[in-house]
Amino acid sequence: MKKMSAFNTRRVVLGCLSVSAVIAIYALVTSRAGNNPALLPPIGDIITSFWTNLTSGSLLTALGASLFRISAGFLIGTTLALVLGCLIGWYRNIEFLFDPLIEAVRPIPPLAYIPLIIIWFGIGEFSRVLIITIACFMVCVVNVIAGMKNVPAVYEDAASTMGATRFQVFRTVAVPAATPFIITGYRVALAAAWTTLVASELLAAQNGLGFLLQEGRRYFLTDQVMMIIMIIGACAFIMDRIFRRIQAHLMQWSETRE
Amino acid sequence: MPEINIENLTHTFGKGQPNELTVLDNINLTFESGSFNAIVGTSGCGKSTLLKMMAGLFTPSDGSMKLDDKVIQGTDRRRGMVFQQDAVFPWMTVAKNISYGPRLRGASAAQQREIEAKWTQAVGLKGFEDRWPRELSGGMRKRVDIGRVYANDPDVLLMDEPFGALDAQTKERMQSDLLDTWSQSRKTVVFVTHDLEEAIFLADKIVVMSARPGRVHHIETVSLPRPRTDAMRLTDEFIQIKRRLWEMLDH
Repeated sequence: MKKMSAFNTRRVVLGCLSVSAVIAIYALVTSRAGNNPALLPPIGDIITSFWTNLTSGSLLTALGASLFRISAGFLIGTTLALVLGCLIGWYRNIEFLFDPLIEAVRPIPPLAYIPLIIIWFGIGEFSRVLIITIACFMVCVVNVIAGMKNVPAVYEDAASTMGATRFQVFRTVAVPAATPFIITGYRVALAAAWTTLVASELLAAQNGLGFLLQEGRRYFLTDQVMMIIMIIGACAFIMDRIFRRIQAHLMQWSETRE
Repeated sequence: MPEINIENLTHTFGKGQPNELTVLDNINLTFESGSFNAIVGTSGCGKSTLLKMMAGLFTPSDGSMKLDDKVIQGTDRRRGMVFQQDAVFPWMTVAKNISYGPRLRGASAAQQREIEAKWTQAVGLKGFEDRWPRELSGGMRKRVDIGRVYANDPDVLLMDEPFGALDAQTKERMQSDLLDTWSQSRKTVVFVTHDLEEAIFLADKIVVMSARPGRVHHIETVSLPRPRTDAMRLTDEFIQIKRRLWEMLDH
Protein backbone atom coordinates (compact mmCIF):
# COMPACT_ATOMS: atom_id res chain seq x y z
CA MET A 1 0.00 0.00 0.00
CA LYS A 2 2.77 2.38 0.99
CA LYS A 3 4.63 1.69 -2.22
CA MET A 4 1.49 2.37 -4.18
CA SER A 5 0.96 5.80 -2.61
CA ALA A 6 4.61 6.78 -3.23
CA PHE A 7 4.05 5.83 -6.84
CA ASN A 8 0.91 7.97 -6.96
CA THR A 9 2.65 10.92 -5.35
CA ARG A 10 5.36 10.76 -7.97
CA ARG A 11 2.76 10.60 -10.70
CA VAL A 12 0.85 13.62 -9.38
CA VAL A 13 4.00 15.68 -8.78
CA LEU A 14 5.43 15.02 -12.23
CA GLY A 15 2.03 15.61 -13.84
CA CYS A 16 1.69 18.98 -12.08
CA LEU A 17 5.23 19.87 -13.08
CA SER A 18 4.48 19.92 -16.81
CA VAL A 19 1.23 21.84 -16.32
CA SER A 20 2.86 24.49 -14.12
CA ALA A 21 5.78 24.80 -16.53
CA VAL A 22 3.38 25.70 -19.33
CA ILE A 23 1.61 28.24 -17.10
CA ALA A 24 4.95 29.74 -15.99
CA ILE A 25 6.19 30.14 -19.55
CA TYR A 26 2.87 31.71 -20.54
CA ALA A 27 3.06 34.13 -17.58
CA LEU A 28 6.61 35.04 -18.53
CA VAL A 29 5.76 35.67 -22.16
CA THR A 30 2.67 37.78 -21.38
CA SER A 31 4.45 39.90 -18.76
CA ARG A 32 7.11 41.00 -21.22
CA ALA A 33 6.97 44.60 -22.44
CA GLY A 34 5.32 44.94 -25.82
CA ASN A 35 2.97 41.99 -25.34
CA ASN A 36 -0.39 42.54 -26.98
CA PRO A 37 -3.02 41.49 -24.41
CA ALA A 38 -5.66 41.22 -27.11
CA LEU A 39 -3.73 38.26 -28.53
CA LEU A 40 -2.14 36.87 -25.38
CA PRO A 41 -4.14 38.04 -22.35
CA PRO A 42 -2.20 37.90 -19.08
CA ILE A 43 -3.20 35.24 -16.56
CA GLY A 44 -4.77 37.89 -14.32
CA ASP A 45 -7.20 38.83 -17.13
CA ILE A 46 -8.16 35.20 -17.66
CA ILE A 47 -8.89 34.78 -13.96
CA THR A 48 -10.92 38.00 -13.94
CA SER A 49 -12.91 36.76 -16.93
CA PHE A 50 -13.54 33.49 -15.08
CA TRP A 51 -14.75 35.38 -12.01
CA THR A 52 -16.99 37.76 -13.98
CA ASN A 53 -18.61 34.95 -15.91
CA LEU A 54 -18.98 32.84 -12.79
CA THR A 55 -20.66 35.57 -10.72
CA SER A 56 -22.93 36.67 -13.57
CA GLY A 57 -24.10 33.08 -13.86
CA SER A 58 -23.37 32.85 -17.56
CA LEU A 59 -20.57 30.32 -17.06
CA LEU A 60 -22.69 27.94 -15.03
CA THR A 61 -25.59 28.21 -17.46
CA ALA A 62 -23.25 27.44 -20.34
CA LEU A 63 -21.64 24.58 -18.47
CA GLY A 64 -25.03 23.11 -17.58
CA ALA A 65 -26.25 23.31 -21.17
CA SER A 66 -23.08 21.73 -22.53
CA LEU A 67 -22.95 18.95 -19.94
CA PHE A 68 -26.55 18.10 -20.68
CA ARG A 69 -25.81 17.78 -24.41
CA ILE A 70 -22.70 15.72 -23.80
CA SER A 71 -24.45 13.38 -21.38
CA ALA A 72 -27.49 12.89 -23.58
CA GLY A 73 -25.48 12.33 -26.77
CA PHE A 74 -22.93 10.12 -25.05
CA LEU A 75 -25.47 7.93 -23.27
CA ILE A 76 -27.72 7.45 -26.30
CA GLY A 77 -24.83 6.96 -28.72
CA THR A 78 -22.87 4.48 -26.62
CA THR A 79 -25.95 2.51 -25.60
CA LEU A 80 -26.95 2.07 -29.23
CA ALA A 81 -23.34 1.19 -30.07
CA LEU A 82 -23.18 -1.39 -27.28
CA VAL A 83 -26.39 -3.14 -28.27
CA LEU A 84 -25.85 -3.04 -32.01
CA GLY A 85 -22.10 -3.69 -31.79
CA CYS A 86 -22.61 -6.80 -29.67
CA LEU A 87 -25.19 -8.16 -32.10
CA ILE A 88 -23.12 -7.33 -35.19
CA GLY A 89 -19.97 -8.77 -33.67
CA TRP A 90 -21.65 -11.98 -32.60
CA TYR A 91 -24.36 -12.93 -35.06
CA ARG A 92 -23.03 -13.55 -38.54
CA ASN A 93 -26.22 -12.59 -40.37
CA ILE A 94 -26.55 -9.31 -38.53
CA GLU A 95 -22.92 -8.61 -39.36
CA PHE A 96 -23.54 -9.27 -43.05
CA LEU A 97 -26.53 -6.98 -42.89
CA PHE A 98 -24.89 -3.99 -41.21
CA ASP A 99 -21.18 -4.29 -41.85
CA PRO A 100 -21.09 -2.70 -45.33
CA LEU A 101 -23.23 0.14 -44.07
CA ILE A 102 -21.00 0.85 -41.09
CA GLU A 103 -17.83 0.54 -43.15
CA ALA A 104 -19.20 2.98 -45.71
CA VAL A 105 -20.30 5.52 -43.14
CA ARG A 106 -17.34 5.20 -40.77
CA PRO A 107 -14.81 7.38 -42.62
CA ILE A 108 -17.25 10.32 -42.78
CA PRO A 109 -16.40 12.77 -39.98
CA PRO A 110 -19.52 13.34 -37.85
CA LEU A 111 -19.18 17.10 -38.37
CA ALA A 112 -19.92 16.57 -42.06
CA TYR A 113 -23.50 15.77 -41.09
CA ILE A 114 -24.03 19.18 -39.55
CA PRO A 115 -25.39 20.90 -42.70
CA LEU A 116 -27.74 18.02 -43.37
CA ILE A 117 -28.93 17.90 -39.79
CA ILE A 118 -29.57 21.64 -39.83
CA ILE A 119 -31.58 21.29 -43.05
CA TRP A 120 -33.62 18.42 -41.66
CA PHE A 121 -34.04 19.30 -38.01
CA GLY A 122 -33.14 22.97 -37.73
CA ILE A 123 -30.67 24.41 -35.24
CA GLY A 124 -32.41 23.35 -32.05
CA GLU A 125 -31.31 21.30 -29.10
CA PHE A 126 -32.28 18.05 -30.84
CA SER A 127 -29.84 18.67 -33.68
CA ARG A 128 -26.94 19.33 -31.34
CA VAL A 129 -27.58 16.18 -29.31
CA LEU A 130 -28.00 14.24 -32.54
CA ILE A 131 -24.55 15.22 -33.82
CA ILE A 132 -22.94 14.15 -30.55
CA THR A 133 -24.94 10.92 -30.59
CA ILE A 134 -23.75 10.08 -34.10
CA ALA A 135 -20.13 10.82 -33.21
CA CYS A 136 -20.24 8.71 -30.05
CA PHE A 137 -22.01 5.86 -31.78
CA MET A 138 -19.60 5.65 -34.70
CA VAL A 139 -16.37 5.52 -32.70
CA CYS A 140 -17.84 3.26 -30.03
CA VAL A 141 -19.53 0.69 -32.25
CA VAL A 142 -16.29 -0.11 -34.08
CA ASN A 143 -14.60 -0.98 -30.81
CA VAL A 144 -17.50 -3.06 -29.56
CA ILE A 145 -17.53 -5.08 -32.78
CA ALA A 146 -13.77 -5.59 -32.59
CA GLY A 147 -14.16 -6.78 -29.00
CA MET A 148 -16.80 -9.34 -29.90
CA LYS A 149 -14.69 -10.61 -32.76
CA ASN A 150 -11.64 -11.04 -30.57
CA VAL A 151 -13.27 -13.37 -28.06
CA PRO A 152 -10.85 -16.33 -27.80
CA ALA A 153 -12.40 -19.40 -29.43
CA VAL A 154 -11.36 -21.61 -26.53
CA TYR A 155 -13.69 -19.71 -24.17
CA GLU A 156 -16.60 -20.30 -26.53
CA ASP A 157 -15.71 -23.98 -26.89
CA ALA A 158 -15.34 -24.39 -23.14
CA ALA A 159 -18.76 -22.86 -22.51
CA SER A 160 -20.54 -24.81 -25.22
CA THR A 161 -19.03 -28.14 -24.14
CA MET A 162 -20.45 -27.37 -20.71
CA GLY A 163 -23.86 -27.15 -22.27
CA ALA A 164 -24.22 -23.42 -22.88
CA THR A 165 -26.63 -22.46 -25.63
CA ARG A 166 -25.45 -20.03 -28.30
CA PHE A 167 -27.24 -17.21 -26.50
CA GLN A 168 -25.74 -18.21 -23.15
CA VAL A 169 -22.27 -18.16 -24.70
CA PHE A 170 -23.04 -14.67 -25.99
CA ARG A 171 -24.25 -13.42 -22.63
CA THR A 172 -21.88 -15.16 -20.24
CA VAL A 173 -18.70 -15.36 -22.32
CA ALA A 174 -18.58 -13.04 -25.33
CA VAL A 175 -19.79 -9.85 -23.66
CA PRO A 176 -17.55 -10.10 -20.57
CA ALA A 177 -14.58 -11.17 -22.70
CA ALA A 178 -15.13 -8.09 -24.84
CA THR A 179 -15.27 -5.59 -21.94
CA PRO A 180 -11.73 -4.26 -22.43
CA PHE A 181 -12.62 -3.26 -25.98
CA ILE A 182 -16.03 -1.97 -24.95
CA ILE A 183 -14.50 0.26 -22.30
CA THR A 184 -12.01 1.62 -24.81
CA GLY A 185 -14.96 2.36 -27.08
CA TYR A 186 -16.64 4.33 -24.30
CA ARG A 187 -13.50 6.33 -23.66
CA VAL A 188 -12.95 7.34 -27.26
CA ALA A 189 -16.66 8.14 -27.45
CA LEU A 190 -16.25 10.55 -24.55
CA ALA A 191 -13.44 12.33 -26.35
CA ALA A 192 -15.53 12.42 -29.53
CA ALA A 193 -18.43 13.86 -27.56
CA TRP A 194 -16.36 16.87 -26.46
CA THR A 195 -15.02 17.47 -29.96
CA THR A 196 -18.44 17.49 -31.56
CA LEU A 197 -20.06 19.39 -28.70
CA VAL A 198 -17.89 22.44 -29.22
CA ALA A 199 -18.24 22.22 -32.99
CA SER A 200 -22.02 21.99 -32.81
CA GLU A 201 -22.19 24.91 -30.40
CA LEU A 202 -19.88 27.04 -32.48
CA LEU A 203 -22.37 26.82 -35.29
CA ALA A 204 -25.76 27.19 -33.88
CA ALA A 205 -26.21 27.66 -30.19
CA GLN A 206 -27.58 30.42 -27.97
CA ASN A 207 -25.79 29.02 -24.93
CA GLY A 208 -23.16 26.51 -23.96
CA LEU A 209 -19.37 26.57 -23.77
CA GLY A 210 -18.98 26.67 -27.56
CA PHE A 211 -21.28 29.67 -27.65
CA LEU A 212 -19.14 31.51 -25.08
CA LEU A 213 -16.09 30.73 -27.22
CA GLN A 214 -17.80 32.18 -30.27
CA GLU A 215 -18.94 35.21 -28.30
CA GLY A 216 -15.38 35.76 -27.07
CA ARG A 217 -14.08 35.72 -30.62
CA ARG A 218 -16.78 38.06 -31.88
CA TYR A 219 -16.16 40.73 -29.19
CA PHE A 220 -12.40 40.13 -29.11
CA LEU A 221 -12.50 38.83 -25.54
CA THR A 222 -9.42 36.65 -25.88
CA ASP A 223 -9.29 36.18 -22.11
CA GLN A 224 -12.78 34.65 -22.25
CA VAL A 225 -11.73 32.35 -25.09
CA MET A 226 -8.70 31.19 -23.12
CA MET A 227 -10.78 30.70 -20.00
CA ILE A 228 -13.38 28.54 -21.79
CA ILE A 229 -10.68 26.41 -23.40
CA MET A 230 -9.30 25.71 -19.94
CA ILE A 231 -12.74 24.91 -18.56
CA ILE A 232 -13.29 22.41 -21.37
CA GLY A 233 -9.91 20.84 -20.73
CA ALA A 234 -10.64 20.57 -17.03
CA CYS A 235 -14.09 19.04 -17.58
CA ALA A 236 -12.81 16.49 -20.08
CA PHE A 237 -9.97 15.63 -17.73
CA ILE A 238 -12.29 15.09 -14.75
CA MET A 239 -14.66 12.95 -16.80
CA ASP A 240 -11.81 10.83 -18.06
CA ARG A 241 -10.57 10.32 -14.51
CA ILE A 242 -14.02 9.21 -13.39
CA PHE A 243 -14.09 6.88 -16.33
CA ARG A 244 -10.75 5.36 -15.42
CA ARG A 245 -12.09 4.67 -11.94
CA ILE A 246 -15.04 2.81 -13.42
CA GLN A 247 -12.69 0.99 -15.77
CA ALA A 248 -10.39 -0.09 -12.96
CA HIS A 249 -13.40 -1.42 -11.08
CA LEU A 250 -14.85 -3.32 -14.05
CA MET A 251 -11.45 -4.66 -15.07
CA GLN A 252 -10.31 -5.96 -11.68
CA TRP A 253 -9.92 -9.36 -13.28
CA SER A 254 -7.67 -8.20 -16.09
CA GLU A 255 -3.90 -8.42 -16.02
CA THR A 256 -3.55 -5.20 -17.96
CA ARG A 257 -5.85 -2.95 -15.92
CA GLU A 258 -4.58 0.54 -15.27
CA MET B 1 -23.19 -46.21 -18.51
CA PRO B 2 -21.69 -44.19 -21.36
CA GLU B 3 -19.73 -45.94 -24.03
CA ILE B 4 -18.23 -44.30 -27.09
CA ASN B 5 -18.25 -46.01 -30.47
CA ILE B 6 -16.43 -44.68 -33.49
CA GLU B 7 -17.24 -46.48 -36.73
CA ASN B 8 -15.53 -46.05 -40.10
CA LEU B 9 -14.79 -42.45 -39.36
CA THR B 10 -12.99 -40.49 -42.05
CA HIS B 11 -12.52 -36.77 -42.06
CA THR B 12 -11.44 -34.70 -45.01
CA PHE B 13 -10.96 -30.95 -44.82
CA GLY B 14 -12.20 -29.15 -47.93
CA LYS B 15 -13.79 -32.29 -49.28
CA GLY B 16 -14.35 -32.25 -53.05
CA GLN B 17 -11.92 -29.38 -53.57
CA PRO B 18 -8.56 -29.79 -55.32
CA ASN B 19 -6.64 -29.16 -52.10
CA GLU B 20 -8.66 -31.54 -49.96
CA LEU B 21 -6.81 -33.02 -47.02
CA THR B 22 -7.71 -36.27 -45.29
CA VAL B 23 -6.74 -35.97 -41.64
CA LEU B 24 -8.47 -39.05 -40.26
CA ASP B 25 -8.77 -42.28 -42.22
CA ASN B 26 -11.19 -45.06 -41.38
CA ILE B 27 -11.04 -44.91 -37.60
CA ASN B 28 -12.78 -47.66 -35.64
CA LEU B 29 -12.60 -47.41 -31.87
CA THR B 30 -14.56 -48.27 -28.77
CA PHE B 31 -14.06 -46.58 -25.43
CA GLU B 32 -15.73 -48.63 -22.74
CA SER B 33 -17.72 -47.00 -20.02
CA GLY B 34 -15.74 -46.03 -16.95
CA SER B 35 -12.41 -46.65 -18.65
CA PHE B 36 -9.44 -44.34 -18.89
CA ASN B 37 -8.22 -44.13 -22.48
CA ALA B 38 -5.29 -42.31 -24.00
CA ILE B 39 -4.65 -41.40 -27.60
CA VAL B 40 -1.01 -40.82 -28.52
CA GLY B 41 0.63 -39.88 -31.77
CA THR B 42 3.01 -37.36 -33.24
CA SER B 43 1.65 -33.97 -34.17
CA GLY B 44 -0.43 -34.03 -37.32
CA CYS B 45 -2.00 -37.42 -36.63
CA GLY B 46 -5.40 -35.84 -36.07
CA LYS B 47 -5.75 -36.85 -32.45
CA SER B 48 -6.98 -33.43 -31.35
CA THR B 49 -9.41 -33.28 -34.25
CA LEU B 50 -10.77 -36.66 -33.24
CA LEU B 51 -11.26 -35.48 -29.67
CA LYS B 52 -12.97 -32.26 -30.74
CA MET B 53 -15.34 -34.38 -32.83
CA MET B 54 -16.23 -36.39 -29.76
CA ALA B 55 -16.97 -33.10 -28.02
CA GLY B 56 -19.23 -32.13 -30.92
CA LEU B 57 -17.16 -29.12 -31.94
CA PHE B 58 -16.59 -30.68 -35.38
CA THR B 59 -18.66 -32.95 -37.58
CA PRO B 60 -16.83 -35.80 -39.34
CA SER B 61 -17.25 -35.90 -43.11
CA ASP B 62 -17.85 -39.67 -43.16
CA GLY B 63 -18.66 -42.38 -40.67
CA SER B 64 -20.23 -42.10 -37.29
CA MET B 65 -19.46 -41.41 -33.71
CA LYS B 66 -21.88 -42.54 -31.05
CA LEU B 67 -22.28 -42.14 -27.34
CA ASP B 68 -24.51 -44.90 -25.94
CA ASP B 69 -25.73 -45.70 -29.45
CA LYS B 70 -26.80 -42.11 -30.03
CA VAL B 71 -25.05 -40.24 -32.79
CA ILE B 72 -22.96 -37.37 -31.43
CA GLN B 73 -24.20 -34.11 -32.84
CA GLY B 74 -23.19 -30.73 -31.50
CA THR B 75 -21.94 -29.98 -28.04
CA ASP B 76 -23.61 -31.35 -24.97
CA ARG B 77 -22.88 -31.12 -21.26
CA ARG B 78 -22.65 -34.93 -21.19
CA ARG B 79 -19.31 -34.63 -23.00
CA GLY B 80 -17.09 -32.28 -21.04
CA MET B 81 -13.77 -31.11 -22.36
CA VAL B 82 -10.51 -29.83 -20.90
CA PHE B 83 -8.47 -27.90 -23.42
CA GLN B 84 -4.80 -27.58 -24.10
CA GLN B 85 -5.03 -23.81 -23.83
CA ASP B 86 -6.01 -21.98 -20.71
CA ALA B 87 -9.80 -21.89 -20.85
CA VAL B 88 -10.48 -20.51 -17.37
CA PHE B 89 -12.67 -17.43 -17.67
CA PRO B 90 -10.46 -14.59 -16.42
CA TRP B 91 -13.45 -12.39 -15.53
CA MET B 92 -14.79 -14.88 -13.00
CA THR B 93 -13.29 -15.80 -9.65
CA VAL B 94 -12.15 -19.38 -9.08
CA ALA B 95 -15.45 -20.24 -7.38
CA LYS B 96 -17.56 -18.70 -10.13
CA ASN B 97 -15.59 -20.60 -12.75
CA ILE B 98 -16.23 -23.85 -10.90
CA SER B 99 -19.98 -23.31 -10.67
CA TYR B 100 -20.33 -21.98 -14.22
CA GLY B 101 -22.04 -25.08 -15.65
CA PRO B 102 -24.62 -25.51 -12.90
CA ARG B 103 -25.32 -21.77 -13.03
CA LEU B 104 -26.16 -22.09 -16.74
CA ARG B 105 -28.90 -24.46 -15.76
CA GLY B 106 -30.26 -22.18 -13.07
CA ALA B 107 -28.72 -23.69 -9.94
CA SER B 108 -29.77 -21.79 -6.82
CA ALA B 109 -27.22 -19.72 -4.89
CA ALA B 110 -27.11 -22.39 -2.19
CA GLN B 111 -26.52 -25.18 -4.71
CA GLN B 112 -23.78 -23.16 -6.36
CA ARG B 113 -22.01 -22.62 -3.05
CA GLU B 114 -22.22 -26.32 -2.28
CA ILE B 115 -20.71 -27.24 -5.66
CA GLU B 116 -18.03 -24.57 -5.36
CA ALA B 117 -17.02 -25.85 -1.91
CA LYS B 118 -16.98 -29.47 -3.03
CA TRP B 119 -14.93 -29.02 -6.18
CA THR B 120 -12.47 -26.36 -5.06
CA GLN B 121 -11.65 -28.81 -2.28
CA ALA B 122 -11.48 -31.80 -4.64
CA VAL B 123 -9.01 -30.18 -7.04
CA GLY B 124 -6.88 -28.73 -4.24
CA LEU B 125 -7.88 -25.08 -4.48
CA LYS B 126 -9.47 -24.61 -1.10
CA GLY B 127 -8.74 -21.09 0.12
CA PHE B 128 -8.48 -19.73 -3.42
CA GLU B 129 -12.22 -19.46 -4.04
CA ASP B 130 -12.31 -15.68 -4.34
CA ARG B 131 -9.09 -15.24 -6.30
CA TRP B 132 -8.98 -14.05 -9.88
CA PRO B 133 -7.42 -16.50 -12.34
CA ARG B 134 -4.63 -14.00 -13.08
CA GLU B 135 -3.46 -14.51 -9.50
CA LEU B 136 -2.94 -18.25 -10.03
CA SER B 137 -0.10 -20.25 -11.54
CA GLY B 138 -0.54 -22.25 -14.75
CA GLY B 139 -0.95 -25.49 -12.81
CA MET B 140 -3.59 -23.98 -10.54
CA ARG B 141 -5.52 -22.62 -13.49
CA LYS B 142 -5.53 -26.11 -14.97
CA ARG B 143 -6.99 -27.33 -11.68
CA VAL B 144 -9.76 -24.77 -12.06
CA ASP B 145 -10.39 -26.06 -15.58
CA ILE B 146 -10.64 -29.65 -14.38
CA GLY B 147 -12.75 -28.76 -11.36
CA ARG B 148 -15.11 -26.78 -13.55
CA VAL B 149 -15.65 -29.69 -15.92
CA TYR B 150 -16.13 -32.12 -13.04
CA ALA B 151 -18.56 -29.78 -11.28
CA ASN B 152 -20.62 -29.83 -14.46
CA ASP B 153 -20.96 -33.60 -14.00
CA PRO B 154 -20.49 -34.90 -17.57
CA ASP B 155 -20.61 -38.61 -18.44
CA VAL B 156 -17.49 -38.43 -20.56
CA LEU B 157 -14.35 -36.41 -19.98
CA LEU B 158 -12.36 -35.40 -23.05
CA MET B 159 -8.91 -34.03 -22.34
CA ASP B 160 -6.75 -32.47 -25.01
CA GLU B 161 -3.13 -32.40 -23.77
CA PRO B 162 -4.30 -30.60 -20.64
CA PHE B 163 -0.90 -30.70 -18.95
CA GLY B 164 1.13 -29.94 -22.07
CA ALA B 165 2.17 -26.49 -20.90
CA LEU B 166 3.17 -27.44 -17.36
CA ASP B 167 6.63 -28.16 -15.97
CA ALA B 168 7.59 -31.79 -15.31
CA GLN B 169 7.03 -31.80 -11.54
CA THR B 170 3.68 -30.04 -11.71
CA LYS B 171 2.66 -32.37 -14.50
CA GLU B 172 3.33 -35.55 -12.49
CA ARG B 173 1.50 -34.14 -9.52
CA MET B 174 -1.47 -33.21 -11.70
CA GLN B 175 -1.53 -36.71 -13.21
CA SER B 176 -1.73 -38.37 -9.79
CA ASP B 177 -4.39 -35.94 -8.63
CA LEU B 178 -6.39 -36.51 -11.80
CA LEU B 179 -6.35 -40.26 -11.18
CA ASP B 180 -7.51 -39.67 -7.59
CA THR B 181 -10.44 -37.62 -8.77
CA TRP B 182 -11.24 -40.06 -11.55
CA SER B 183 -11.17 -43.11 -9.26
CA GLN B 184 -13.91 -41.56 -7.14
CA SER B 185 -16.43 -41.28 -9.97
CA ARG B 186 -15.09 -43.46 -12.81
CA LYS B 187 -16.20 -41.37 -15.71
CA THR B 188 -15.17 -42.46 -19.18
CA VAL B 189 -12.04 -40.50 -20.04
CA VAL B 190 -10.37 -39.96 -23.40
CA PHE B 191 -7.03 -38.26 -22.88
CA VAL B 192 -5.02 -37.00 -25.84
CA THR B 193 -1.28 -36.52 -25.35
CA HIS B 194 2.04 -36.87 -27.11
CA ASP B 195 3.74 -37.81 -23.84
CA LEU B 196 4.01 -41.63 -23.72
CA GLU B 197 4.82 -41.76 -20.02
CA GLU B 198 1.74 -39.72 -19.25
CA ALA B 199 -0.40 -42.07 -21.33
CA ILE B 200 0.98 -45.23 -19.70
CA PHE B 201 0.67 -43.81 -16.20
CA LEU B 202 -2.94 -42.75 -16.67
CA ALA B 203 -4.66 -45.10 -19.06
CA ASP B 204 -6.11 -48.60 -19.29
CA LYS B 205 -5.96 -48.47 -23.04
CA ILE B 206 -3.65 -46.52 -25.31
CA VAL B 207 -4.51 -45.86 -28.93
CA VAL B 208 -1.40 -45.19 -31.00
CA MET B 209 -2.08 -43.18 -34.11
CA SER B 210 0.07 -42.73 -37.19
CA ALA B 211 0.16 -39.49 -39.12
CA ARG B 212 -0.91 -38.16 -42.52
CA PRO B 213 -3.55 -39.38 -42.73
CA GLY B 214 -4.35 -40.22 -39.11
CA ARG B 215 -4.91 -43.93 -38.68
CA VAL B 216 -5.15 -46.28 -35.73
CA HIS B 217 -1.76 -47.95 -35.72
CA HIS B 218 -1.93 -50.00 -32.56
CA ILE B 219 -3.97 -50.46 -29.42
CA GLU B 220 -2.05 -51.16 -26.22
CA THR B 221 -3.71 -52.47 -23.09
CA VAL B 222 -2.00 -51.32 -19.93
CA SER B 223 -2.43 -53.81 -17.13
CA LEU B 224 -0.54 -51.93 -14.44
CA PRO B 225 -2.59 -52.27 -11.24
CA ARG B 226 -4.61 -49.43 -9.80
CA PRO B 227 -4.22 -47.26 -7.85
CA ARG B 228 -1.18 -46.20 -9.80
CA THR B 229 1.78 -44.79 -7.92
CA ASP B 230 4.72 -42.71 -9.06
CA ALA B 231 7.04 -45.64 -8.25
CA MET B 232 5.43 -47.59 -11.10
CA ARG B 233 6.95 -45.20 -13.59
CA LEU B 234 10.27 -46.95 -12.98
CA THR B 235 9.12 -50.59 -13.14
CA ASP B 236 10.22 -52.90 -15.96
CA GLU B 237 6.70 -53.32 -17.21
CA PHE B 238 6.21 -49.59 -17.50
CA ILE B 239 9.49 -49.09 -19.30
CA GLN B 240 8.86 -51.99 -21.66
CA ILE B 241 5.54 -50.52 -22.71
CA LYS B 242 7.19 -47.18 -23.18
CA ARG B 243 9.95 -48.64 -25.37
CA ARG B 244 7.45 -50.58 -27.48
CA LEU B 245 5.27 -47.54 -28.06
CA TRP B 246 8.24 -45.29 -28.65
CA GLU B 247 9.49 -47.52 -31.47
CA MET B 248 6.06 -47.42 -33.05
CA LEU B 249 5.89 -43.65 -32.96
CA ASP B 250 9.27 -43.24 -34.53
CA HIS B 251 8.26 -44.43 -37.96
